Amino acid sequence: MTRPVKEAKRRRPLSIRALQGIGVSPGVVAAIVVVFKRQTLRAGWYHLPAEHIEKEVERFAGAINAAGDELLQLREKLAGDLADALSIIDSHLLMLRDRMLVERTIGIIRHSNVNAERALAQALSEIKERFDRIDDPYIRERFSDIKHVADRVFGLLSGREHSPLTGEDQPVILVANDFSPEDTLRMQEGNVHGFLTEKGGITSHTAIVARSLGLPAVVGIEHATSLLATGDFIILDGGSGRIILDPAPADIQRVRKSNRRDRLLADELDSYIHLVSETVDGFPVQLSANIETLAELPTVLRFGSEGIGLFRSELDYFNNRQPPNEEQLAATYQQLLATMAPYPVTVRTFDLGGDKFFNRFPGNKAWLDRERNPALGLRSIRFSLYEQTMFRSQLRALFRASVHGRLRILLPLISALAELRQVKGIVDEVLDELAGQGHPVAGDVAIGMMVEVPSAVAMADVFAAEVDFFAIGTNDLIQYSLAIDRGNQYVAHLYEPYHPAVLRMIRQTVEAGHARNIPVSLCGEMAGDPLCAPVLMGMGLDELSMRPAIVPKVKRLLRHCHSDELRRMAQQMLQCGDCDQVRSLLARELANLYPKEYYQG
Amino acid sequence: MMRAEKMVIIGNKRGIHGRVATRLASIAVSHDVRLFLCHAEKKVECSSILDVLSLALARGATVGLVAEGPQAELALAAAVGIINAQDDARHDPSG
Repeated sequence: MTRPVKEAKRRRPLSIRALQGIGVSPGVVAAIVVVFKRQTLRAGWYHLPAEHIEKEVERFAGAINAAGDELLQLREKLAGDLADALSIIDSHLLMLRDRMLVERTIGIIRHSNVNAERALAQALSEIKERFDRIDDPYIRERFSDIKHVADRVFGLLSGREHSPLTGEDQPVILVANDFSPEDTLRMQEGNVHGFLTEKGGITSHTAIVARSLGLPAVVGIEHATSLLATGDFIILDGGSGRIILDPAPADIQRVRKSNRRDRLLADELDSYIHLVSETVDGFPVQLSANIETLAELPTVLRFGSEGIGLFRSELDYFNNRQPPNEEQLAATYQQLLATMAPYPVTVRTFDLGGDKFFNRFPGNKAWLDRERNPALGLRSIRFSLYEQTMFRSQLRALFRASVHGRLRILLPLISALAELRQVKGIVDEVLDELAGQGHPVAGDVAIGMMVEVPSAVAMADVFAAEVDFFAIGTNDLIQYSLAIDRGNQYVAHLYEPYHPAVLRMIRQTVEAGHARNIPVSLCGEMAGDPLCAPVLMGMGLDELSMRPAIVPKVKRLLRHCHSDELRRMAQQMLQCGDCDQVRSLLARELANLYPKEYYQG
Repeated sequence: MMRAEKMVIIGNKRGIHGRVATRLASIAVSHDVRLFLCHAEKKVECSSILDVLSLALARGATVGLVAEGPQAELALAAAVGIINAQDDARHDPSG
């Protein structure tokens, strides 16, 4: 553990004006530093008389529980948009309860008659030995997480409270040997404007948390805690990793001015949040959000999305601690719909994906056969039709929740009419069942399909007569139509959103939908790409669904466009023969239409 | 006892790292099954994140997944989905 050192002892040679580390979270700040020194004080290691052993086990279990409670408390306070941090805390909770840590420590206490600190240190060094043998640096680095977790248990065993990371009344930059991801999360409560550490790397969880908090951070500065002292004034550049000591007043001015400019830019984008999303000439495009958990709803509302264009229900399914029965699903969907009302919410049915073929014959060694083509296997709607009990309970839950808002049900990976009709048959049965049981159901639930398979594009005119809306999923559409597995390093470079074939398929789908008067949305990565979005708007898409935080940026673009310019640009793109041509045309056109900062970054 | 098993090739670009291991453990809990990973003659239970991590499974490695319990097949399907995810950036729309 660490503790702040208030006395400013200057040990570094005066000639050192700058330090170079690894920038892990961008942003430049100028502030005084507070240094936390590594506490070298260790509890003594000693043998225990036999009658004290169980008491010692209890003391250890108490510390484990207290550390778990701390993590749970922190987890509860987390803002919904910090999904990375949430996952890190969950992994720390698992480590804290891991048999290699807990059972092993208790075993050592009992068998070697030693105190908990001694036993925990031994268990930890055994884990370290196993991790040291791992070649993969990314996985090996996870030992630092285990160490953070164990350090907190050491702290609690010695009765140490958390060092206060906050409570300063002026902006500070924190300096320590290392901070845990949890330490970093606690920084957001105080006046902490950045931090730097001696340890760590770009893939450390502490760095990930810093990035998601937008907190500038530099790691890997050896001896930082002795080269710097509390009270020093520095400029920290979390992008380049450079630290400037005792900066000139002009440099400080420059940093503060640029921070003001960043804030102004953020404010400028904020001003778009409550504006209508339409072109200069009043042509509307609905900008909605892709989300996967209810926790993201505050972010959706904050950035002014006009609905949920894609709720990925299967991730909610994975994250649940309990199997998602109908009641739980209904409660989730009710909250989702009620929060977003009167805006529409599009829920994609379980897209349990990838490689879903499993052996139904216990004990059979046939599972040694590999799935040759996971992307072409039993996934998505096919899996739902295979596991119908699960699918029906999801549909029942959706319809039961439908009275609380505006529900659109989205069916993924439809590739043939027979498949769609089979689903509609099941929907009718579910509706009959619900009516028979006296459950009220909204009359205006829309049922649409993802267009993400080339066969669905080719047959879009036929499908358009059978569904209430289309949602184009470009990620899968690109993979299936260009025959590219983006996860395969040898072909990933061929994955190309600007491939004219992709653009033409989008256009064909839009035309087929509009011929039948059904709306067409797009919810792949392309929708949130400020370079792509104008072209998509020009192709006539009614709705673009993207990460919630990008909405204001795309809206600003849209509000500076004329619809006829967008249509003309899209027409030109559709005439291009290859993606390079599309790109250079786009670069030329956009530069003529808007300031650079509108579509870059 | 229901039992389901499957051989999969790890599709996640960073292999079985912290988040994947965390999710595997939570699947075992949420489905009330015992979930095992088999690799290179080692068999570990997914409830121990440290055991799973120390298998050091990189992208492209082949692993056996075994689920035991009443909801074995659903749990296995969920686990296979997680292991096969192409990448797990949470905000990477899979539209």
